[in-house]
Amino acid sequence: MTFPDASEIGGSKPRHLSRRTFVGSSLAALLPGTAGAASTLNAYSIWPENYARPMMEAFEKASGIHVNFVRFSSGEALARVIAERNNPQVDVLFGGPVETFTAGRGKEVFDPHKPPSWSELPARFKDPDGQWTAIADDPLVFMTNTQFLARHDLHAPTSWDDLLDPAYKGMLQMADARTSGTAVTRIFSILQVHDRNEDQAFAYMKKLRQNVQVYTKSGGGGTLPVGLGQAGGGIFFIVDALFTKQKGYDVQISFPKEGIGSAAECIALVKGAKNADAGKKLIDWATSPAMQSLFAPNKINFIPAHPAVKTDPALASVLAGAKIIEIDEAWAGANRQRIIERWIAEVLNAG
Amino acid sequence: MSAAIGARWQWRGADRPLRLALIAGIWILLIVFVLYPLARLFGRAFNEEGVFTFAPFVDALSNPNHLRALRNSLILATLVAAVGTSAGFLFAFTAERTNLAGGIRRLLDFTILLPLISPPFTTSIAFVFSFGPRGLITHDLLGMQDAQVYGWNSTVAAEALTYFPLAFLALRPLIASIGSDLEDAAFSLGGSRWHVFRTVTLPLTLPGLANAFLLLFAASLADFATPLILAGNGLPVLPTDAYLQITGMFDLKGGAVLSLLLLAPAAIVFFAQRHIVGRRNYATITGKAGGRAPHRRIASWLRYALWLACIALAAFIVYLYALLVYASAVVAFGADATPTLSNYRVIFTEGIPAIKDTLIIALICMPLGGVYGIVVGYLVGRMRFAGRQAIEIVSMINYALPGTIVGAAYLIAFNDEPIVLTGTASIIVACYVFRYSPTGIRTTVALLQQVDRSIEEASFSLGAGGLATFWRVILPLILPAFFAGLGAVFIRAMTAITATIFLVSINWTLITVRILENMTELSLGPAAAFSVFVIVVVLAVTSLLDVLLRGMTAPELRPSALET
Amino acid sequence: MPAPTSAGIGLRRVSAGFRHPDGNEVLAVRDIDLDVAPGELLTLLGPSGCGKTTTLRMIAGFQAPSAGQILIGDRDVTHMPANRRDIGFVFQSYALFPHLTVRDNVAYGLRVRRKPAAEIAAAVAAVLTLVGLDGLANRFPSELSGGQQQRVAVARAIVIRPRVLLFDEPLSNLDAKLRTEMRTEIQRLQRTLGITTVYVTHDQEEAMAISDRIAVMNDGRIVQIGTAEALYRRPASTFVAGFLGRANMLPGIVRGSTSGELTLKVAGATMRVACQTAYAPGTRLWVIVRPEKISLAAGGSLPGEIVSRTYLGEKVEYVVRLADQSLSVVRYDPPEEGGFSPGQRVGVTLPSTGVQLLAAG
Repeated sequence: MTFPDASEIGGSKPRHLSRRTFVGSSLAALLPGTAGAASTLNAYSIWPENYARPMMEAFEKASGIHVNFVRFSSGEALARVIAERNNPQVDVLFGGPVETFTAGRGKEVFDPHKPPSWSELPARFKDPDGQWTAIADDPLVFMTNTQFLARHDLHAPTSWDDLLDPAYKGMLQMADARTSGTAVTRIFSILQVHDRNEDQAFAYMKKLRQNVQVYTKSGGGGTLPVGLGQAGGGIFFIVDALFTKQKGYDVQISFPKEGIGSAAECIALVKGAKNADAGKKLIDWATSPAMQSLFAPNKINFIPAHPAVKTDPALASVLAGAKIIEIDEAWAGANRQRIIERWIAEVLNAG
Repeated sequence: MSAAIGARWQWRGADRPLRLALIAGIWILLIVFVLYPLARLFGRAFNEEGVFTFAPFVDALSNPNHLRALRNSLILATLVAAVGTSAGFLFAFTAERTNLAGGIRRLLDFTILLPLISPPFTTSIAFVFSFGPRGLITHDLLGMQDAQVYGWNSTVAAEALTYFPLAFLALRPLIASIGSDLEDAAFSLGGSRWHVFRTVTLPLTLPGLANAFLLLFAASLADFATPLILAGNGLPVLPTDAYLQITGMFDLKGGAVLSLLLLAPAAIVFFAQRHIVGRRNYATITGKAGGRAPHRRIASWLRYALWLACIALAAFIVYLYALLVYASAVVAFGADATPTLSNYRVIFTEGIPAIKDTLIIALICMPLGGVYGIVVGYLVGRMRFAGRQAIEIVSMINYALPGTIVGAAYLIAFNDEPIVLTGTASIIVACYVFRYSPTGIRTTVALLQQVDRSIEEASFSLGAGGLATFWRVILPLILPAFFAGLGAVFIRAMTAITATIFLVSINWTLITVRILENMTELSLGPAAAFSVFVIVVVLAVTSLLDVLLRGMTAPELRPSALET
Repeated sequence: MPAPTSAGIGLRRVSAGFRHPDGNEVLAVRDIDLDVAPGELLTLLGPSGCGKTTTLRMIAGFQAPSAGQILIGDRDVTHMPANRRDIGFVFQSYALFPHLTVRDNVAYGLRVRRKPAAEIAAAVAAVLTLVGLDGLANRFPSELSGGQQQRVAVARAIVIRPRVLLFDEPLSNLDAKLRTEMRTEIQRLQRTLGITTVYVTHDQEEAMAISDRIAVMNDGRIVQIGTAEALYRRPASTFVAGFLGRANMLPGIVRGSTSGELTLKVAGATMRVACQTAYAPGTRLWVIVRPEKISLAAGGSLPGEIVSRTYLGEKVEYVVRLADQSLSVVRYDPPEEGGFSPGQRVGVTLPSTGVQLLAAG
């Protein structure tokens, strides 16, 4: 591996180089920056690299703007944006579950921008003030290990209560609400299924806790253990579940008859973005069929948010018969902090 | 004999302004990069609506979950230190006293090395796949059903495995330096082998054991990566909780407070260590040709038992890393065992920015850290001046603190005026240099203690000034310390995560952070491939440094570049 | 004969103090006045802790005096750092640079002075021959014996042609035989080169063998300066008498005095000793009698008994008991027959000449 020469490094440095102190600039002097902010843009992507990369490359082809991105999980990405609010390092927050964006809206880190496809999107796919817009939809699913089911003579769970079966004791993995949007969507799904009766919902979750092996840091953290048989099953976004299945792991995907929620995947413009215009162009493109028609060919198992784009047939067949319920994002956003703290106190630490 | 009672280094003549400038320069660096960030961290943590108050701290302490995390952290650290020190002592004793066959010695040296130069999570991931309900060892080998891998046992074992090489490195020279005369004398007075061991060898090793214990205690206290994977939800620990508070709850202040809860135990450990190590006698460079204690003093059966134990442990470590290599070379671990190079292809295409960034930063840090290490080492090790102890302590602060504290402090301090460094390489370089060069500082101080003052006086008497003496006489003699500093900074720069996870940015990203992200994205193959890459690079560079060091020093001045 | 570059050394009322851990100021060296003539070899002799090394280090510049003035030649160097004083210092531990070869060690001072390479090479070769180390130029100090290391240390110090040479107990780490060889070497070198030299040792035999003059120190002060002979024959105090060679110190009382002679009662016998000072009868004096001056015979003036006998080849040492006193007696070239054994009664005769008198008290 050869040592890169200076010209490669310069690449796509954003403009804020000039704000550094002497110390910073003397080091920066080693690494020449380039001008041309108009042709680059920085983003944190909550989508995995292998999803984001083809999208960004397509965008560059379409618009000539190069996107410099780094992948972080939803919690980390938002935490960064918040910590950096006085000196934003990125222009766009790309992908990631809606609850991350409602939280971000609460912390006032986004700038409103309504893309052209605004009017064509249903209400749950957009923030009323334009602070965020959906680019995809991602339902939750149950995913279980086939051999585990066979061994315990079970069928794939089709009800939330199926997961309470003693056979699953210590064999479920699902996301930790402190760090993962998946968990928050799951919790709000459970709340919705119990008609927002919090005590009932929490009673269920406490029972479920007995069967949980570990709450994972990231939403998809449990999929590999389930695929390997380390765990028997879990609750994940369909994207992660199908990814596991496509890799070759022997798993089953099923849905509870009581219904399960989905989370919109969104995009937003960061307040104070240094390349705001380029950022807006990315948002416009991502919320339009131009990007979303690329999901299917790239085997990205999100449901496109834009109504004009058809869901990939293979994906649609998996979803056939599933009851996807709607979660009131406004209510969820307003109560997120409180519900999570209650979950931490009563469910997480009860174990 | 040459140091008369009360002799002080007096800085007269042309040297003085240079020394003063040097001391002032070091202080400025320390204030900006050690004290200022901590002050900002304290300011942010103890802040309620703009008023300085201890309330957040008190709240945190009265929160039963945080108390539980604190208690767990302390207990975990104690267990890890106990287990790790014992393992390190076992290895060190075997290495020094049982006349190992060459092949076994090489195996032991190599396996000791691996955990030290590995990126985070390597042990933890291998544990998950070996000891879970379908683990390779628990299920496939031992036929256990429903074995649980998350929890105390795994976390203690994984951390002990990761850190015991530190104990080994600290104990081996100590055991080697216990003169066989002492044991011969005890033996001749009629003691049995065990009695001699108990009453002579062990007490002499006690300071070293205490030092190793504290080293491991501090390391475990600061470790957030292993518990992140292995602790499960029943074992909250502070560094992981602090990290989750910041990245999950977007609560920088809460995370800061939690990090600061770790400050007290870390400080106690730090001062305890200074107290113990300060009293130690270091072996001399040009000391007596310390012959190995004759192995006849170890009973045969014991010797074989020790060998067996060490080999078993070494084999287990090798197994863990073999698992890593295997994971990097198959399509999908556990599902598709087709061998493939695609993971490596991925890291060398998509992962190139991270590789580039990490190598650049590591290569910048190396000389900076090395030079800083010997300059400060010389200052505190040789000169007498007001505030010398203060400089020594302050320079060690970032090293002694858990990484989460340092990272959070840097994030808070350097994101706003007056000094804005976030998003640059400088913040990462600064973090590494001031956090990892104390290894070089301590090695320099240790080596300087072996250089008799009369050597410097001889140089003065022959007409050389302070600078010339440093360049011509001192520097060649502490060259091993310089290389040790280089090596330590490079290794850490390639493998660290706890502090710098908060400092990566859109412009600068690190391999270790990519590994974490890959783990959470379940791209196990690329994560393993990155890890293997890091290990190979680190091995290559440290071997190179070792070769350079041997080439540059006179025969009798040659400890390994890795002996810190 | 002094070398053209060598200079005299002067100490004027020099003191050195340090702070004891309990807070008191302790003086290691008190108020020393000393003059070393150009080309002279002066030894500072005394027991451990007497301040001799401190004095040497102050001349070198490794330690600053707390009072007084130090002059080298006609320059006041009291506040001059060591590297500007143009001295050569030979350390007790040799302080050879372990990472440099013998050649590089010796060349060090010349390189610092930026002498041309050719000149350095020639000087180094010459001095190595002078100290007898030809052929060892490429060795490292750890590959040399103690004696060889010592020579390198000396070579390194003299090759730079310093104005002043300082030795800090250079031979104390060598075995006895080597010590006597080396001290002759050092003396020979010093005489050849003629550099003013201050030599520190606690070994009185060494001091007597090589010095032009000896300064005996005790408790931070110089108690007597003189040639070896002067100090041996006419010690100014019981301390000096006891320090140089062995001395029997007998209490005596003056019985009477005539011009140039005193009559004393010593150990039960009467002695007549030549003495210019007229002491009043009854004055108590110390009578210093060297062991080799006492004769033992079957019949002698004082009755004594042999306590011990130590045969040392060239001499025999006896400890003899008189009435209330033990005497140390030495007999050179002892005959095979006619020696005395422990327990034997013998007659002791004190000499009347070669005896030193010191005021008691």
